[in-house]
Amino acid sequence: MPTRTKYEQLAKNVIQRARRRGAQQAEVYLELGRQSSCRVRDGEIQDLTEATSKGIGLRVVCDQRLGFAFTSDFDPTSLNRFADRAVDLASAAAPHRLNGLPTSEDLGTPSDVGELYDPRISSLQPDWKIKASLEMERAGKAVDPRIVAFDSVGAGEQVAEVIVASSEGFVGGYAGTYAFMYAAPVASDGTQLQTAEWSDEKRFFDELESAEAIGRKAAERAVRMLGAKKVKSQRAPVILDPTMAASFASTIASAANGDAVFKKSSFFAGKLAKRIAAASLTLVDDGLRRRGLGTSPFDGEGVPTRRTAVIEKGVLGSFLYDCFTARKAKTRATGNAARSYRSLPAIGTNNLYLEPGRRSPEEIIREVKNGFYVTAMLGVGANIVTGEYSRGANGLWIENGELARPVQEVTVAGSMLQMLEDIDAVGSDLTFRGATGAPTIRFRELTIAGE
Amino acid sequence: MKTRSARPGRTALQRLPAMSRPSTPLLPVGMMEKLLSAAMSRGADFAEVYVEQATSTAVSLEEQKVKSAQTGLTQGIGVRAISGGKVGYAYSDDLEDEALFRAAQTSALIARSGGATQPVKVSRSPSPMFYRVETPLSDVQVSRKVDLVVRANRAAHRFDPRVKQVMATYADQTKRIWVSNTEGRFAEDVQDLCRLAVRVVAEAKNGDRRSGFYGGGGRVSFSYFDTFTPEQVAAEAARQAIATLGAVDAHAGAQTVVLAPGWSGILLHEAVGHGLEADFIRKKTSLFAGKLGQKVASDKVTVIDDGTVANSRGSVNIDDEGNPGQRKILIERGVLTGFMYDSLNAKLMGERPTGSGRRESFRHMPMPRMTNTYLAPGDDDPGEIIRSVKSGLYCAQFGGGQVDISNGNFVFEVSEAYEIVNGKIERPVKGATLIGVGPEALKNVSMVGTDPMPDPGLGTCGKDGQMVPVGVGLPTLRIDNMTVGGTRV
Repeated sequence: MPTRTKYEQLAKNVIQRARRRGAQQAEVYLELGRQSSCRVRDGEIQDLTEATSKGIGLRVVCDQRLGFAFTSDFDPTSLNRFADRAVDLASAAAPHRLNGLPTSEDLGTPSDVGELYDPRISSLQPDWKIKASLEMERAGKAVDPRIVAFDSVGAGEQVAEVIVASSEGFVGGYAGTYAFMYAAPVASDGTQLQTAEWSDEKRFFDELESAEAIGRKAAERAVRMLGAKKVKSQRAPVILDPTMAASFASTIASAANGDAVFKKSSFFAGKLAKRIAAASLTLVDDGLRRRGLGTSPFDGEGVPTRRTAVIEKGVLGSFLYDCFTARKAKTRATGNAARSYRSLPAIGTNNLYLEPGRRSPEEIIREVKNGFYVTAMLGVGANIVTGEYSRGANGLWIENGELARPVQEVTVAGSMLQMLEDIDAVGSDLTFRGATGAPTIRFRELTIAGE
Repeated sequence: MKTRSARPGRTALQRLPAMSRPSTPLLPVGMMEKLLSAAMSRGADFAEVYVEQATSTAVSLEEQKVKSAQTGLTQGIGVRAISGGKVGYAYSDDLEDEALFRAAQTSALIARSGGATQPVKVSRSPSPMFYRVETPLSDVQVSRKVDLVVRANRAAHRFDPRVKQVMATYADQTKRIWVSNTEGRFAEDVQDLCRLAVRVVAEAKNGDRRSGFYGGGGRVSFSYFDTFTPEQVAAEAARQAIATLGAVDAHAGAQTVVLAPGWSGILLHEAVGHGLEADFIRKKTSLFAGKLGQKVASDKVTVIDDGTVANSRGSVNIDDEGNPGQRKILIERGVLTGFMYDSLNAKLMGERPTGSGRRESFRHMPMPRMTNTYLAPGDDDPGEIIRSVKSGLYCAQFGGGQVDISNGNFVFEVSEAYEIVNGKIERPVKGATLIGVGPEALKNVSMVGTDPMPDPGLGTCGKDGQMVPVGVGLPTLRIDNMTVGGTRV
């Protein structure tokens, strides 16, 4: 990257300026990127978007006070004003003795994470995404004549570079690539419309699912929902397909946010090292996962990423921390400072996934006499403070081990601690969508609200 | 489509006289004209240049301390070229000439018919003025913003010793936009927006924890917080948390529900609003497509989207395509009367734009969006509505919501709810979620209160990943046979 040196120098200049203005510590988070995407409709291009973008965020500590500014204006005079603004703003915040940038001990050496950059993506023919989108649309329509429209079908790629530099001696950067495809078809039987979506995003082009498969899967998921109805309110076994299980995993990970736990604003407060689920359940955040979408050598404040088992064989193993929260909680940062140039670090996940079990999804469904297989959900519906979970759900009703008929307009609800205990089957079909992955999981029983 | 945030507490709406205040554009008008010309160079039918400059400030407080003060500057340009129904879009945060022309030429590539470069001339069109902010929020001293969160924190802790955690944030933005297009329009706007929000966690002796959330703001002057005080906001957030300590589990199943006025308007936003946006209608992916003139709700239901509400969070003097904000009746006494159009969908459908073309920033193409969406008041006394219910659920405060446009399924979360027994509000209930199909829920509206109420100004709506500020509003409402998600069967 010939540009790397130029921007590292720019970052150093900004840090120097902030220090001259009175900051004891200063840190730059800089992002550069270019992206391109398209959407199609009825066999033609609907739109094409191309862009380059950049931005810089500056975090300063002055007399234990925290200041932050960001800008996308890289003009040298503007940058000086921007650095001054960050320092001046710090005086409006309260001093906190734990404020401070990651120390050299926190920073250590960036992790070896292998390749994040696919030269194939950075040199793709611009029309690949048009061809791929048209193919998704064609394949979707071919599934069934009841596929009448698409809410959206599109594809694109992105090349992004991150540079972090701080007055504590850290300078690091990495560049990564991404390519994505998605399809959201709409099925109609004349009385009801049903939509579904399927997508894939990868750092490496060869790992993307085929356009044909994405279009087909999305259409199959939409068509099978036609004729969906409510069911009676009841308690019954509930199975989440891998996409919905991944969404549940994200919710559980947000309860493991070290800051929420420290403030006793999480239902996980006081539960560390306790058994909270069956031994078959392991929830991992792995910033080192080879070729993972969320993989990086260091997090948003330069701390090396690592593998953290949030739940290890059913035991609550670790919370997730950035440096500031780790200091408050008297523990070590876990490399989970999520970031954009427009924000201060906040705790987030890297590659989050539920480890797969040994059982096939078919077998997990077959064991259910009367239950609900959930394939889509609506609403946030999870309260991290109280542990209440209640979301709108669509999917298929299971009768005698078979997916029998489509269901909509119901909710599934439970208490998340109880739900974790009630997971009685974990599938072998780990599926990543983006940086979150999960296999099929089954809850012994949840409350379904309908008629 | 998701909407987040909280609800009520503002008073009478009042129209301000129309006028506009010209400013010096971030890019000279002559440059915009040249870029329009470049975007048309391959034979497009239409081109548009959107320029934006936004300054933001935020302060946050947690664990009794002002954690940080932040500021940001974002500026950039988005160029759109349209050829038939196809759109080429390019954006750049680099405002050097070379980058600007590259963006314009990239957008031009959507048209392939060749064609010669023609000069383009634009002239300033006046914008109406639905919000007047005396001093741009970006010019208000940070110390005054810090003072709001400090006062909110103090008031929340003083409310009750069971209040254990208080998180207060104040955020504002002063956004300037300039839009010019090949129809000769050049329009501009200054869009100030602010909000104060307080989240409280209370803990009872037995370890039961509940949270409360409240806040508000809008396109208002900073002096707004002289009357909408941080003490008021904090007390309401704390009240919610304390009131729901010891709540019982919600019953699952069909019930009669009564919605408190204000932020409950999110029901309308999700249940029907999104489904009336013209892009979904044109693509026939909304269940409201082809239903114009048909009965889609009970006689008591009149739904309006109004971008002209004075100082409201969702209002726009001009939308992000330069068209003036408008008031549109979408459903009148149960009959579907109109949709919300941006200029592209309006053109393709032979309609007129309704001031509904909005975008999150220069990084995004505009699309049809809601502004302030509310239900017109009815004839029923709010107290009488509650007394009319033998057994049901009173929904006082709400979390976020979401809708599936195609099957019409929507959910929204009830963060503060009570049992109604024989017309009286009784025990607090936890973990309730409402779910329904938009038109069915609107047909089951049996009573509409006389008490219209806008939400306090916290709503942010997401569509295709683009977030825009919106307002919602609803009078007290009774809906029969609504499915309540809960854990008790």
